[in-house]
Amino acid sequence: MTGIQGDLKPGAPGETAAEVPQDVDLTAAAADAAAAAVPLEIVAQSLGEYLRGWWQKLKSGDSGLLPVLVAMVIVAGAFEILTPENAYLRPSNLVYIFGLSTVYMVLAMGEIVVLLLGELDLSIGAVALMGGTIAYKLVQQPSPNWPWWLAILTSLVCCGVIGALQGTLVARLRIPAFVVTLAGFLLFTGMLVVILGGADGSLSVSSADPNQSVFYNLVQGSIDPVVSWVILAVVVVGFGTMMWMRASGRRRSGLVAPPASLTAIKIGLMAVVGVAVLVICTVNRGGVFATIEGLPWVIPVVIVILGLWTVLLQRTRFGRYVYAIGGNPEAARRAGVNLAGIRTWCFVLCSATAGFAGILLGSFYYGQYSTNVGDPGQLVLYSVAASVIGGTSLFGGRGKPIHGVLGGLLIGGIAYGVSLMNLGSLSIPLEYILPGAVLLLAVLVDVLSRRGARTGSVIRV
Amino acid sequence: MARIDSDPLTGPVAAPSLIDAADATVDLTAAAAVGEAPTEILAQSMGEYLHIWWQRVRGGESGVLPVVLGLVIVGVAFQIANGHFLSPQNLVNIFEQSSIYILLAMAEIFALLLGEIDLSVGLVMGLGAVVVVELVQPSGSATCLLCPHGLGFPAWLAIGVTLLICAGVGLIQGSLVARLKMPSFIVTLGGWLILEGVALIVLNGVPVSLKNVTVPAQVQISNIFWGYFSPTISWILLAVVLVIVAAAWWFRDASRRRRGLVAPPPSFTAIKIASVAVAGAVVVGLCNVNRAHFGVIEGLPYIIVIVLAVLFVWTMLLQRTRFGRYVYAIGGNPEAARRAGVSLISIRTWCFVLASLTAGIAGVLFASWQQFLSTNIIKSSNAYVLLAVAAAVIGGTSLFGGRGKTLHGVLGGLIIGAIYNGLYLMGVSSEWVDILIAIVLLAAGTIDVLSRGGSRSRA
Repeated sequence: MTGIQGDLKPGAPGETAAEVPQDVDLTAAAADAAAAAVPLEIVAQSLGEYLRGWWQKLKSGDSGLLPVLVAMVIVAGAFEILTPENAYLRPSNLVYIFGLSTVYMVLAMGEIVVLLLGELDLSIGAVALMGGTIAYKLVQQPSPNWPWWLAILTSLVCCGVIGALQGTLVARLRIPAFVVTLAGFLLFTGMLVVILGGADGSLSVSSADPNQSVFYNLVQGSIDPVVSWVILAVVVVGFGTMMWMRASGRRRSGLVAPPASLTAIKIGLMAVVGVAVLVICTVNRGGVFATIEGLPWVIPVVIVILGLWTVLLQRTRFGRYVYAIGGNPEAARRAGVNLAGIRTWCFVLCSATAGFAGILLGSFYYGQYSTNVGDPGQLVLYSVAASVIGGTSLFGGRGKPIHGVLGGLLIGGIAYGVSLMNLGSLSIPLEYILPGAVLLLAVLVDVLSRRGARTGSVIRV
Repeated sequence: MARIDSDPLTGPVAAPSLIDAADATVDLTAAAAVGEAPTEILAQSMGEYLHIWWQRVRGGESGVLPVVLGLVIVGVAFQIANGHFLSPQNLVNIFEQSSIYILLAMAEIFALLLGEIDLSVGLVMGLGAVVVVELVQPSGSATCLLCPHGLGFPAWLAIGVTLLICAGVGLIQGSLVARLKMPSFIVTLGGWLILEGVALIVLNGVPVSLKNVTVPAQVQISNIFWGYFSPTISWILLAVVLVIVAAAWWFRDASRRRRGLVAPPPSFTAIKIASVAVAGAVVVGLCNVNRAHFGVIEGLPYIIVIVLAVLFVWTMLLQRTRFGRYVYAIGGNPEAARRAGVSLISIRTWCFVLASLTAGIAGVLFASWQQFLSTNIIKSSNAYVLLAVAAAVIGGTSLFGGRGKTLHGVLGGLIIGAIYNGLYLMGVSSEWVDILIAIVLLAAGTIDVLSRGGSRSRA
């Protein structure tokens, strides 16, 4: 379990100390011991101390987001140099890469919930396509013509039920997740074709219809530039105030809190990234004949999912239990965690997330849905690869939803970069080889770093 | 450690002491052995043997019984649905179609026995198929990126090089798994992706075929799948094999009895030989029926002989050699095996090499079967990976390592092939085939878990 909760207050006199003087020394000693065990970056009182703690953590193998961020910079730089006319980093391309990566990001966020347990879900590609198909089917005209929100909800519930079935088999019967979800992969790939009405069946939504256009716009639509800026301002001010108030509240009540300068830097960084994204998005990317500008809907959508899963995994009891099971299932069981319940819920969440990814996938293909929008096997491979590349461990207990977003962006970025380069007959093979190589590299880093890491599960024989 | 050997007393410790030691030692050793050896080995009469076998089945060690029952059920069900299903022509057809699943499942079993998984077997097969076809393109015609002028290898060299390349892939993956302790799941997943790319590069976007009858190597490779022995030679072949098998079994058991070792009753040996003879005669008889719509195609297909030969070699390797015992030991408990002095690294690496090698054989068969390879091979290879795992598990190989036999791959592969064939005859579309196979896989996984005592084995 990672050190997410920093509620220890080393060195502070407790209430018990005032009442029972002879215990003071003991308590203080215990507190010192706790201080030694708590990572330095949590108890840091100044920015310098914090950076030092961060560096120590890095050296001990907990490299966090650094490798994937470095990899993204390298990939971006390399493709910018290698692509003809240095087109890779054009705003229109960057927005396109985000759209392309969306499905991998959302799928990876689903996969991470299961990976954290030390399990695996191979069915999410097929479940994603199922979810998308169900939702698209429900908004078809003239019938059933359901409202878009009900269609999405139904699709997510259906996928959740799929997850519950698979999760029950894994959690209660303890059939290996690998086999259950492999069967799920075959089963739902077959059912998908049945629902689509044959291998060449297809569904589509129109951007002109007000109900269907919601689906179309999920990836293809943009928010008006002015509104985009207003949203950014509201979000930055809201989040900034919240972070600042929480940190100062903790300091006031004597709890461990990050130094004020660190909070300020975090807020500043958030604002800078937000402004950068918006500047890129508000450039007209429609070319000469049409104007397409403004924040794509998909960016806030992904951020909302990221926020939901991050809060669930890192701020709730459920999340702590997930990390506990991933770190050591037997220990978690003895601590009273309901293994079967938590495991089943993780599969439910994973499948529901995958279902939403499927809806986004149709939107990325301009509202067209057929068996050609995605190969379920490839979707699974890329989403597992994205999670691991982002920094989530395959052995359970280590990982965050943000890893899925960054890993997904990296994979999408590589895939698009390769397709931009004029490699002729090599370009399609490289679209397979590069993610595979990156995946192996990421796991190698995972395996090697775990040898020195404090968290996560133990190494095998 | 699972029960790998039907006669554990031939192990390096027990056998010499029984032969050489004084009478007192013999009694002690025999007493100790009786306590540990599986009881059906000690049975002295046929009735006793059957009784003990039934006890074992009831105790959860059902062996190949579920999958054989499954085959019977599948056979009867499809025969009712379509009277053509159990015709001699279609049975041979089913075996031919299943051969790829069978070989891939046999490959997968090497990884599964260790408690590992190899997801790359399908693409190793794809790569093998592409490579072998590219290598036999005549000079000046091939379009492969790596061999722009065509190599025009003879068939044996092309097959040899292909198998070497595939084994090399296994060596790389096995080293990553065994030395760097990377999870096999992810190494072979990465291998899957990379091999997709490599196969596409080798293919270079241009379809290749084996249909040029003026090139002897292409004809020979096509014949691997499509060729067959003449009916007379089929019978002679069967007779030779039967005589060798019968003699080997009979003399082994007789010499064991003579030396006072534990051996099955003579009646049992005789029944075993007779049943193999009957099975062989049935197979050859079925194959000798003319199965062509026009003209004459009759006789034992090469492919049956090849599959049985691979089955024989791998069974011997896994159940009669020290290497095989180590494989089962690692699968049963890697830490215990390590402490007993087994080199985990080399055994694991070799298993991945053998898995990829077997997948390479499947690749040659696949090329011979298809005769025409385009980029579609990637898509079919993807499907084959999952079916290979499914076949192994359906056949009775445990996913947790340490339990399984090469024979399971044959039976599981036959079930999958039969389901595909039966549903195809009924005109069911492929998506329903996937659904049915998923259900069979789930059932097999459930049986695997329940027979191991289910939830108590893992936290």
